Amino acid sequence: MANARTDLLQGTLELLILKTLAREPMHGYGIVQRIHEAAEDSLKVEDGSLYPALYRMEERGWVTSEWGPSENNRRAKFYKLTRRGRKQLEEERANWERVSQAITKILQTA
Amino acid sequence: MLTRLSKPLGRRATESEVEEELRFHIELLTRDYMRQGMSRQEAADASLKRFGDIGSVRKECVEIRRRSRRLLRALKFFLAVILLAGVLIRVLSADFRVAKIGEMLIAVAVLSRLLLHARGLRPSNYPSKKRHTFAGGGY
Repeated sequence: MANARTDLLQGTLELLILKTLAREPMHGYGIVQRIHEAAEDSLKVEDGSLYPALYRMEERGWVTSEWGPSENNRRAKFYKLTRRGRKQLEEERANWERVSQAITKILQTA
Repeated sequence: MLTRLSKPLGRRATESEVEEELRFHIELLTRDYMRQGMSRQEAADASLKRFGDIGSVRKECVEIRRRSRRLLRALKFFLAVILLAGVLIRVLSADFRVAKIGEMLIAVAVLSRLLLHARGLRPSNYPSKKRHTFAGGGY
């Protein structure tokens, strides 16, 4: 049961990261801030959980990373969506819509 | 000290890369909390709380990165073996058709290596000269 819950959260976080990076390359802190802003702080994302997710996504070829100077000249690691990542975003978005529609239907009829 | 020295260079590089990335995040978070009026100590505590278990995050990231590098090294080794086999066959074989097979192996190994490089399958700790921008503020 605990595993199923973790998987769902992990999958959801990856979808949010993919969507956030679809706009522009960002470092980890920027990604978390953008997610908080977009969700108007209604979504609780533990900052640390972002990094293992990003590293796994890089391993799968959905994002690439590159060290570079941030706007205050500090060295930061920036993540960029790859073509495979964009494809994954579309698939995950479609899957999310299917699942949420199915759950909504169940809630309305039950 | 001896343990640190005996660690493979790649492993230490991976650990310091992960450490630098996580430290950057926590420092920015602390700075934001201080802007909101917290003292340095309060901000540092709040940052660590919001970040979660930094030790397990660090460990997990290092493990994922090391796994990727191991796979990449294995792939590069495999391609090097194919290249060597191709060269040996090409040089040692007197038969024209067998020599052609050697040339094909060389071509496959070289093209695969170029493809790996083009797809960005390489360690990420090469600093870029270009400046990245982030619309969210002066991070």
